[in-house]
Amino acid sequence: MAEELVLDTAIRDWVLIPLSVVMVLIGVLRYFVSKLMRSPPSASPSPDPKTVKEGQVVIRARNLRNGAQFIPAKAFKARKLYYTNGEAGLLHVPKEDAQKAQAAMFSDPNMAMDMMKKNLSMIVPQTLTFAWVNFFFSGFVAAKIPFPLTQRFRGMLQNGIDLSTVDVSYVSSRSWYFLNLFGLRGLFSLILGEENVYAATDDAQKMMAMGGGMGFNPAMSLSAEKDSLDIIQHDWALPKMERHAEEVLRKLLKN
Amino acid sequence: MAAAGGTSSDDVPVIQAENLTSNVRSILYSRTFLSIISGVVAGIWGFTGLTGFVFYFLIMMVASIGLLAKSKFSVHTYFDSWSRILVEGVLAGLMSFVLFWTFAYDIVHIF
Repeated sequence: MAEELVLDTAIRDWVLIPLSVVMVLIGVLRYFVSKLMRSPPSASPSPDPKTVKEGQVVIRARNLRNGAQFIPAKAFKARKLYYTNGEAGLLHVPKEDAQKAQAAMFSDPNMAMDMMKKNLSMIVPQTLTFAWVNFFFSGFVAAKIPFPLTQRFRGMLQNGIDLSTVDVSYVSSRSWYFLNLFGLRGLFSLILGEENVYAATDDAQKMMAMGGGMGFNPAMSLSAEKDSLDIIQHDWALPKMERHAEEVLRKLLKN
Repeated sequence: MAAAGGTSSDDVPVIQAENLTSNVRSILYSRTFLSIISGVVAGIWGFTGLTGFVFYFLIMMVASIGLLAKSKFSVHTYFDSWSRILVEGVLAGLMSFVLFWTFAYDIVHIF
């Protein structure tokens, strides 16, 4: 480092601390606003019985898969047949049904509405804060990260300062905003409860899946469940258990 | 913490999914909390460069040992694998650590 920059304490009092506090408060505000805007479950129309039925079938099949090792091979085979037996099995999805489900997905306005609300509650405050930071605090060197970095990080950390001679570890106020944006996630999970943050990441992942293969619909999950039932290796655990129980009982008898 | 699996079933792992998630959640919670606190501490003590990161990973190691003691040294009673105790949430906490480290360091030492 060639020379130390001397930063005015006023920058600390009027840029660094307010910016951080505002970021935290906006995060809290966003949490409550999205909570308010989430449409209550009673308002949505009562679910289609067919969808419910399919969901239940999937859950039952999953339970069978998880508990497979606790029932004898014969019983497992019978149950598996019940679910996956060609066209008669419960997990069978007729071809045209699958297409219909997808079409319904596209045309259901409620779903899209919900998603848009969620996205809006994310995007609007972010844009607003970014504009606010840009308007008031552009061009400050607001902070200095306590570890050295290479030149490559200049664009990331000194966004808004066009000087190539300043040491890279000095952070502009705009970049401090970005650092806050990503680093405060942990704090939010502490003060707002975990479900907030993890739900957000879940949503992002779900969106990702949507973009990929028009992911979640009941027909899809049915056939996926069928595949995983098909490939499961049945291995009955209980013969070993009996031996285990015998050992335990013998040990008890000895004492 | 609630026991997620029984010790008696040596040959078949039986894990209660709900208890496991609740245990993992409490690990994440404690790690996040620790990463923020250790960030502030590192900033106030004025660690720079590599020292700070070494400090962070040391704290995380201590946390692992603490969790191990909390689970009474039988990891498989509470979790499905060792990685839960050793690495779960370490990288997620790093970002919070860096932020609070920078914040405290700047307020105390730079201005």
